[in-house]
Amino acid sequence: MAAAAGAHPLRRRRPVTRARLIRVSSPYVLILPVVAAVGAVLGYPLYNLARLSFQHYGLFELIRHHGESVGWHNFGSVLHDGVFWHTLERTVVFTAANVGLTMVLGTACALLLVRVSRWARLLLTSGLVLVWATPAVVAVQIWTWMTNYENGVVNYALTQLHAGNYEQHDWYATTFSQLAMVTTLIVWGAIPFVAISVYAALSQVPRDLEEAAVVDGARAWQVFRDVTLPILRPVLLILTSLSIIWDFGVFTQPFLLIGPGHIEPGNYLMGTYLYEEGYAKTDFGRGAAISILMLVIVAVLSVVYVRRMVKLGDVE
Amino acid sequence: MNKRVFVAVLAAASLVAAATASAGVQKAQANKLTVWLQVDAQTGWPDLVAAANQQFQKDHPGWTVDVQYQNWSDHLQKFDATLAGGNAPDVIEMGNTEMTKYMAAGAFAPLNKSLFDNSANWLSGLAKSGMYGGKTYGVPYYAGSRVATYRTDLFTKVGIKNPPTSMTQLIADAKKLAAAQKSNKGFSPVYFGGEDWYVAMAFVYDYGGAIARTHAGKWYGALDSPQAIKGLTAYKNFFLATSKASKTNDSTNPNPYDVYAQGKAGVIVGPSWYTCCVGAKFKSTTGQFVLPSHIKGKPLPGFLGGSDLAVPLTGNVAMGSDWIKDFTDTQSERGLQAKGNIPNATNLLGASINEQAAARSWFVPSAKHWVDVENGNILKNMLGQILTGKLTVKQAATDASDNITSVLNEA
Amino acid sequence: MRRATWNTVAVALFVVMVFPVFWMVSTAFKRDGDIVSYTPTWLPIHPTLSHFGAAIHRPFFWADVKNSVIIVTVTVAISIALAFLAAVALAKYRFGGRKLFIVLMIGIQMLPQAGLIIPLYVVLARYHEVNALTGVIVTYMTFALPFCVWTLRGFLINIPKELEEAAMVDGNTRLGAFVKILLPLAAPGLVATSVFTFITSWNEYIFARVLLNDQAKQTLTVWLSAFLGSGRNTDWGGLMAGSTLTAIPVLVFFLLVQRRIAFGLTAGAVKG
Repeated sequence: MAAAAGAHPLRRRRPVTRARLIRVSSPYVLILPVVAAVGAVLGYPLYNLARLSFQHYGLFELIRHHGESVGWHNFGSVLHDGVFWHTLERTVVFTAANVGLTMVLGTACALLLVRVSRWARLLLTSGLVLVWATPAVVAVQIWTWMTNYENGVVNYALTQLHAGNYEQHDWYATTFSQLAMVTTLIVWGAIPFVAISVYAALSQVPRDLEEAAVVDGARAWQVFRDVTLPILRPVLLILTSLSIIWDFGVFTQPFLLIGPGHIEPGNYLMGTYLYEEGYAKTDFGRGAAISILMLVIVAVLSVVYVRRMVKLGDVE
Repeated sequence: MNKRVFVAVLAAASLVAAATASAGVQKAQANKLTVWLQVDAQTGWPDLVAAANQQFQKDHPGWTVDVQYQNWSDHLQKFDATLAGGNAPDVIEMGNTEMTKYMAAGAFAPLNKSLFDNSANWLSGLAKSGMYGGKTYGVPYYAGSRVATYRTDLFTKVGIKNPPTSMTQLIADAKKLAAAQKSNKGFSPVYFGGEDWYVAMAFVYDYGGAIARTHAGKWYGALDSPQAIKGLTAYKNFFLATSKASKTNDSTNPNPYDVYAQGKAGVIVGPSWYTCCVGAKFKSTTGQFVLPSHIKGKPLPGFLGGSDLAVPLTGNVAMGSDWIKDFTDTQSERGLQAKGNIPNATNLLGASINEQAAARSWFVPSAKHWVDVENGNILKNMLGQILTGKLTVKQAATDASDNITSVLNEA
Repeated sequence: MRRATWNTVAVALFVVMVFPVFWMVSTAFKRDGDIVSYTPTWLPIHPTLSHFGAAIHRPFFWADVKNSVIIVTVTVAISIALAFLAAVALAKYRFGGRKLFIVLMIGIQMLPQAGLIIPLYVVLARYHEVNALTGVIVTYMTFALPFCVWTLRGFLINIPKELEEAAMVDGNTRLGAFVKILLPLAAPGLVATSVFTFITSWNEYIFARVLLNDQAKQTLTVWLSAFLGSGRNTDWGGLMAGSTLTAIPVLVFFLLVQRRIAFGLTAGAVKG
């Protein structure tokens, strides 16, 4: 026994060196494919984007593949533009509303999924997936139709339900109304992902832990706060941070729903602003500068969540 | 578990192989002509495209033509990408309002005008859109004007025997229609959106005004001139007297012909192909007439929309030109005319309503930054302000004019 | 609250959420006259399959289906596999450059994609990956990987160490323990992430449009856009029929994998 115990440390030393090598290099080997793939494809475009932001690069320069350097002019012109600041303010409010609604409604939906019978769960999840699967372009067409001021279903239904006289009500008459329509469209499309992801995370919550808490006399919301929420935290943080990023830069829905012909500085969001000021005017240098500013701003907006996400992993 | 993983890997590998296989075959062929046309050609006159291809291949054995169909909404974005990547097509169809910006940027190769059929007689509105700095970069392909599509039965019911020949008469006819259709809820004698600037600007040009004028290399917004203001006021009166459509809508949402098909419109204003979609109920009682000017007997100037064909700088100029020649020769243009389009030369013009309307036409200022005016919705916003009464005609027109001046003169 | 009440709420929610989709599908079956009618026809009284027929017979429909399937399946398979490995590294190892890698993964997602279209096109053109399915796959993967890594890491964090250590005592290497233990436990997260990647890639439009020229090589979303592309009248019935067809594979994919998000997989795995 003693001999065996004594022999152990000696026998462990050599395998430790080799095992240690594998252990140290393992993580790098694991992340290498991702780093290589992303780096190979995005490396040059990112460098190009940064370089473009310091150049005057319009259609003329695009054709000749050569721009002229203008230093900080692009950034200066954007930051001195009142439209930029108004758009930023509008987008921040818009993002807060969208993310808030999406997360609350999506989580509520997930909690509902946990409590229903199997058939109801399958029905609702399939419905959510159908919503999720609808391409944004098609969803916009459906929305346009449903809210059409001449023959839209929404006006018809609201009038029939005696919610007021909504005949020929133009849902796109004011900026607030336009953005509200865009919000309903985006939130509708975003709920499935949140609901299903949170539901997936909920399935990781050990049932017996919840049951034990109930046995201990905890009320439903206390169980939620003390047992469920901590386990859901990483997923909720991920979803919130992603939602902020997506909703801040959203382009397709506002552009198509409000209509390319009706986009104007009064209803710009950062996504449509970037498109109009950069690409519609083929001022690629300016577009690059706006892209970089958007990156910085959204990083600042989501830093709280991202930081917490990064820290959460510091288990060891 | 191991077996399943193995099968999964095998499946993935075979899919990757399939993907790469289909990718590898597309290495550029030396004698291939790439042509970008809009989907209108694919759905409207594929036979003409095929005929042009056949002619081209007969003249140049060993060459193939690859026609790729584009959407109006994103073809310019794609074009920009190919210009940046160095693989632009050999021939591209551009809207006539899109040409100026790209010509000014040097995107196209200059073409030899004399190579193309009927080039001496090209419609001036179209030909102008393809010229810059005295050189020809775009070959007129086809055009369309704006006409009035109307319910012949409704007109007969209120005793109107012939289509109106003056604006005053049209307004009077509209009032008669409205009176007869009092019980038809939501009926609009003439249906067009308030912000349909194609209709509004026709009034401006009818009174001798213009959107913008150029002088010594600079552009000046001209909507605040007395003639333009007269035109805009006439437009406001016309709209308020005859249209129940939304004051802040343009001509696409909802589509006028959908409204017409529901029996809610007596006359709609738009391209002549609107007759396609008036619905089965009214197909036999639909006719067209040329919109009248405020001057009796003259047509209201119609917006000549259309397309040009150009050869990007990096394309094969000789071959591209030749294909364009085959696609716009007299036979092809006659074919386009038969499908309801306006052909590209005056000597080919016929007597259809569409073509009659083209006798008096207007076109957007051929300024490098005109596209920015359109994208900035300056005209639409002005019309909305005028019709909703937010601003007086003079105020709105002056604002828009100043706006236009600054946008058109941007560096 | 009774289960029955919850069930009712679920059904009500289903009706509200799915209504727009229902509208799309029912329109696909309506005759043209009913589609633009002022009084909405809730259910097609005279259903017609003509729109579906027209959609399927449009040129290149089946070719584009094939392209979409290839692109999306390869993208999802490779992205999930590579991202899972990277997520394992992030969640379970400590190594230098870890924070940088995490920040990179979220940073890339903050880039407005509109800004990258042309630079990306130029790079791909240089390697002749324009107008090629592999070019599109590579592009999609580049945007899918950071998302998958970021999300999967979140799901992996929750899995307790005791399980890995138990597996290691059983004689597995650390990596082996991960695969044997983590993989099944991370299944719900893998499913949610793969469904998301599937859907995003399946419905992606702008890059597919810009990168693919030949109609034989395009994806279904690009094919769908042709219904809207002409300046002339939109074929609503056809568009809705085409959209319905496009949505079917997603639903099928989800139904195949949804069994993995289930209770009971982890219940009982953690004991004290």
